[in-house]
Amino acid sequence: MTGLLVVQGVVSGMCLGGTYILLGLGMTLILSVMNILQFSHGQVYMVGAFTVYFLTVDAGLSIYIAVPIAMVTTSILGLFIERIFLRPVKGDFLGYVLVTSGLGLIMEVLVVGVFGLGVKQVPSLCSGSIEISGMFFARDRLIALLISAVLVSVLQMFLKKSKFGLALMASAQNPEGAILQGINPNVMSALVVAIGSGIAAVGGALGGSIFNLDPYMGGAAFGKGIALIVIGGLGSVMGTVVGGLMLGLSDYLVALFFGSQVASAIPLCIVVIFLLFRPRGLFGHD
Amino acid sequence: MLLEIKNLIVHYDAAQVLYGISFDVEEGTIVTLLGNNGSGKSTTLRAISHLKKATSGEILFQGKRIDKELPQNIVRFGIGHVLEGKGLFPYMSVIENLTVGAYLRKDKKQVALDIEDIFAHFPRLMERRNQQARTLSGGEQQMLAIARSLLGKPKLLLLDEPSLGLSPSMVGEIGRIIRDINQQGVTVLLVEQNARLALNIAHKGFVFENGNIVLQGDAKDLIEDDKVRKAYVGR
Repeated sequence: MTGLLVVQGVVSGMCLGGTYILLGLGMTLILSVMNILQFSHGQVYMVGAFTVYFLTVDAGLSIYIAVPIAMVTTSILGLFIERIFLRPVKGDFLGYVLVTSGLGLIMEVLVVGVFGLGVKQVPSLCSGSIEISGMFFARDRLIALLISAVLVSVLQMFLKKSKFGLALMASAQNPEGAILQGINPNVMSALVVAIGSGIAAVGGALGGSIFNLDPYMGGAAFGKGIALIVIGGLGSVMGTVVGGLMLGLSDYLVALFFGSQVASAIPLCIVVIFLLFRPRGLFGHD
Repeated sequence: MLLEIKNLIVHYDAAQVLYGISFDVEEGTIVTLLGNNGSGKSTTLRAISHLKKATSGEILFQGKRIDKELPQNIVRFGIGHVLEGKGLFPYMSVIENLTVGAYLRKDKKQVALDIEDIFAHFPRLMERRNQQARTLSGGEQQMLAIARSLLGKPKLLLLDEPSLGLSPSMVGEIGRIIRDINQQGVTVLLVEQNARLALNIAHKGFVFENGNIVLQGDAKDLIEDDKVRKAYVGR
């Protein structure tokens, strides 16, 4: 029986990890290209989740239509954030911290104002479960896992193969070198915030469908994102994926054996261990 | 004149680095800026590509003022800048670094041909085309940095300390490469600590001291100048 619980815990943990990954990818890419922590990225994730909630529960759309729409609208939100709030304080570290933290609060208050307090849920991706060699797995979790995997692969392809993807990597690795090749740093900043926000919205929606959502989910999510950057290494897609799976699995499996209090301490312990012994993370640059 | 610098003054915060320097670079030549560390040579290059904002003065390229341009637009005018420390993308492969060097170009087919051409000229880069840039030797990295800027089709190439940290044989190799590039019609503005290398390949030289130009002339005259020999050539 424990064996079954563990296997199901692995699937659920990977699923949860998938939502962390979709959130953390944006944070790590924004940090590596723009040299700032986007303190309101967790709230962007939350807004993405609530957009899907609105489109499905209030507007009655299918979740498979709602998620792509939310991805686009949240990317546009990201473009606005970069152009209106981040660009004017470019180079001003304290300005970045204040502006992004403040933005997070504003987004939370607006969402509370519109949707009210309280925990909500986005409709399920799919009902029922499938049986694999005597074990039952919830279909919605497998689909969520698949969506996360596809999105990460598409992002990785974009970064490796496309002109703009290479330019983003270049800007992250040597900003002046990139500028001298004619790469406009403002375009790169806009691009990275838009992409990161769009991906985070999908993460929020998947999380809101399988788990649940509330207006203050962004803060906790942001903490996970920080942990991912530390574990995976700055700007590394691969590191973010491995780190996200580690955190998701530890959340589920540790809770299974030692209770959820212990489980909630584990990510912090992992972060401390990494900072002590491998501060550049699993796949990070120096 | 391809490049004209007029009365260029640059500050880093309160500290003045350049005290109103002026010089010209004639098309088709190699011009070198000599001088000690901190004499303002690199700052001059950074002001030309606008990575560093000048306090005052004019920079004209082909008769047009470029000192109000954004740094990412400088390459469009035909100015390539190879930074000291090379400015490579360390975790990207050789071929990816080169691809980014052609970022602004629309002629995809010609870019592919140009990259093949670069590999023909730099067989060592060809061998390492899929290696990350940081795994190359210092000399190979310098070749890659120069090759990458050539893909931007520069008329003027700004080279900042290309021989820094290289072995003597590699220094000679880099010297030959610079002369080759020049013979293919690219004007070169070369900042060098290694005055012997620089004066051997350059047509003209300007000697910087504390943000002023204190000496200038044809390279073959400068190399005979006692002061230059004592201070920079080391013999």
